[in-house]
Amino acid sequence: MRLLSPSRLLLILACSLFPLALLALMMGPVFISPMSLLHAALDHSGFSGSGASSQDGLILYSIRLPRVLLAGLVGVCLAVCGTAMQGLFRNPLADPSLIGVSSGASAGASLMIVMGGGALLQGGQFAGLSVVALGAFAGGFLAVIVVYRLATSSSGTSVATMLLAGIAISALAGAFNSLLAFVADDEMLRRISLWQMGSLDAANWPRVGIATFAVVIVMLVLPRQGAALNAFLLGESEARHLGIAVDVVKRRLILMTAMAIGVSVAVAGTISFVGLVVPHIIRLLIGPDHRYLIPASALAGAMLLIVADAFARVVVAPAELPAGILTALLGAPFFLSLLLQRRRTGAH
Amino acid sequence: MSLSAQNLSLTLSHTPLLEGVNLDVRPGSITTILGPNGAGKTSLLRVLVGELTPDVGSVSLNGKLLKSWSPLQRAKTLAVLPQHSLLDFPFTAAEVVMLGRTPHDTGAARDREIVQHALLSVDGDYLAGRIYTQLSGGEKQRVHLARVLAQIWEPTAEGERYLVLDEPTSSFDLAHQKLTLEIVRNLAGKGVGILMVIHDLNLAARCSDTMFLMQCGRMVISGTPHEVLQRETISRVFQVEASIGVHPHSGTPLVIT
Repeated sequence: MRLLSPSRLLLILACSLFPLALLALMMGPVFISPMSLLHAALDHSGFSGSGASSQDGLILYSIRLPRVLLAGLVGVCLAVCGTAMQGLFRNPLADPSLIGVSSGASAGASLMIVMGGGALLQGGQFAGLSVVALGAFAGGFLAVIVVYRLATSSSGTSVATMLLAGIAISALAGAFNSLLAFVADDEMLRRISLWQMGSLDAANWPRVGIATFAVVIVMLVLPRQGAALNAFLLGESEARHLGIAVDVVKRRLILMTAMAIGVSVAVAGTISFVGLVVPHIIRLLIGPDHRYLIPASALAGAMLLIVADAFARVVVAPAELPAGILTALLGAPFFLSLLLQRRRTGAH
Repeated sequence: MSLSAQNLSLTLSHTPLLEGVNLDVRPGSITTILGPNGAGKTSLLRVLVGELTPDVGSVSLNGKLLKSWSPLQRAKTLAVLPQHSLLDFPFTAAEVVMLGRTPHDTGAARDREIVQHALLSVDGDYLAGRIYTQLSGGEKQRVHLARVLAQIWEPTAEGERYLVLDEPTSSFDLAHQKLTLEIVRNLAGKGVGILMVIHDLNLAARCSDTMFLMQCGRMVISGTPHEVLQRETISRVFQVEASIGVHPHSGTPLVIT
């Protein structure tokens, strides 16, 4: 039996997202009280008339707020694309990294770090993205396109081939990445490994803008594929017999995932487990109907990453942990407990 | 108006699977395909529903080439029940049946009504809220039967409806085998064209209007059960000696091996 009705879960998630985000705004090396949060908000919107920005206001506006927003947006991308991939592969253990996007992005970023050296890294900015971030986006997108092309023939796209091609391309990108790490000097090596841990500390307004763009497109396209994804779970032939244009839907899902995960990796590095765990938990609560699973995962993904990033800022304050380490640290044991529970009950 | 195949030939990696096969499924009648393992029954079915493209010949649905139908239009007139389902996600049984309404836009209320009736007709109304992955094999198959029934529940503007079933009774007990045949007979009575692959010759004899007997990718004989189920034909095609009796109630041929 289901634990919650889909509409109730959506309501709960929607109602708790905003308070959680407010809480995350207060948390950090400098604690910001609810009152100064209110003051800063009034200052910024020009209601109080004092004009002078307080220090809290400055922290909020130029550091905390873009960071919380970016965490939420990246969380949406990861969770929604995870849902789409699990539906496409008919496997609740699937993840966007299956189609090579994460390892491709890592290789792209490493290449930029090693090739770019000092000059590019200091000065090379484009629309608020560093050259490294652009390299990550290009690498991730390229890897997915190669995987998709390898799996597509005149008779359509084979999901099984895509899985295998994804493994192969990931291995290739991983080897390339190791090669780059091998030739890199100590400073580059540190950058490479930090980048791969995934963190939101480079959040700024241009990055928020880019991530918003990605989220808007993904949320315009993917929720409409809900019925098609449900039919996919029966198998591709059955989906076709139910009137779904299977290859069109597949191409859409792959493109959206490549774009959204590419962007999120570019702005925040590789953050693991959100794409895997969030749809899984939501499915446990409301069942596998993608018409609700996609919006609910979007909200839950945003919440999870906002919370994880808030903790990343305070656990070892004044230093901070990369959020990617935290999601993996929390996500892996949680996921294992789900697996064990599933083995015990025989249910999914 | 019919679902018909003209002169189909299909070769996959140098193995001929179908050679010069003709078949016609008329609305309101039950057509069955019989034959030993490897005779090409499933290949024929897959060509007929558009999963495989024949090398030679063509398939037409209601007078129009099958491949020129849009997926959505085709789904409104042609439903397919596979032998096995890959579904491995915890939908409720009612949600699985609801998937059959995917191609239609009749509205949620009407769809729920149809789902309920479809489940009831397969003796599965008690399954509605149960989780699909926890059902027995026979129950799962009944849920899928209800799903394809829901898909072609009402007449559509796209033309006559057809239901294609691959061994629908293989995982059923006797009572549900009988129920399936009744459902199919009932549907045919409403003008739906039925095509079934079936292994049990006696079940086939009970329900078929027309039988097609296949061997090694070719059509051996077609006709009424009495015409097809002859002693010599059966021993030639299935390599077993059989006597043919008459069913005491229905009067259809009874194959005793």
